Amino acid sequence: MKAEYVNSFFQATRDVFRLMLDLDIQRGNLALVEGMIGSKDANVILGVTGDLKGSILFSFPKDMTLEMVKIMCGMEMQVIDSFVSSALGEIANIIGGNALTILNSNNYICDIVPPQIFVGEYKSFSMANEKALLLPLMTKIGTLDIHIFLKEK
Amino acid sequence: MMWKDKYKVGVSLIDTQHEELFKRVSEFIETVQNNDNWEHKLDKVKETMIFMQEYVIIHFNAEEAYQEKINYPDIENHKKIHSDFKKMVTDYVTVLEENGYPEKIVQELGGKLMAWLIMHVAKTDQLIGEYVKSQGGEM
Repeated sequence: MKAEYVNSFFQATRDVFRLMLDLDIQRGNLALVEGMIGSKDANVILGVTGDLKGSILFSFPKDMTLEMVKIMCGMEMQVIDSFVSSALGEIANIIGGNALTILNSNNYICDIVPPQIFVGEYKSFSMANEKALLLPLMTKIGTLDIHIFLKEK
Repeated sequence: MMWKDKYKVGVSLIDTQHEELFKRVSEFIETVQNNDNWEHKLDKVKETMIFMQEYVIIHFNAEEAYQEKINYPDIENHKKIHSDFKKMVTDYVTVLEENGYPEKIVQELGGKLMAWLIMHVAKTDQLIGEYVKSQGGEM
């Protein structure tokens, strides 16, 4: 998998976090992993179609998820309910859309499938023995993981 | 409260309306998210939702009229973004009416609306201010 795929998602996440949440993110070590497993409390998966095909999985810890939504609406959140998970899904959707704009400028024309959100489930996504890239991103309110699995058509 | 001064575009008409829109969206979200019994607060949920929807239309129309007035180059794209958003909200309202306003779906609309609005105002609408500034206009 090419570095520009990873950079597009890193750049888009960094920009959206700054703009919407006033949070800076730091890039952790990139790892090659066997499967895409959303092992944190809130997981959002986006499908990618077009010149690149595959999936992007965002995984967030509970406290981080609640704090992100609090930053946006100014209200204390106690549980990951439909309001919180929907806001989180929309953030991931915006990140995905912005990443694809960056990829488009590098001549990969892609589209995203609306996000699916899984809360409190240990979710594993089958990838037919292919490997994905795992990019941890650190912020002052917690660490989110992004799994990237993209193949050229 | 959702509004932050950093969301200002630099055009007084738009900024005043954005602040009002954020206020109405906040009121809707606060009503949806408070701990009252759902059946008990449903009338208030509907009332704040209509109040917010009305202002979305007022504001989008005013912002588009302003873009026409200043010959904003990206106006068609911006109108399309507004129209897609209005469709998303209308589709939700149809589902809500058909299903008796279930809490889960109203919450879902609230979350989506909030994140979309912040991103739209903090990014897309900022370009209007940048254009006005580049033309030597109001800042």
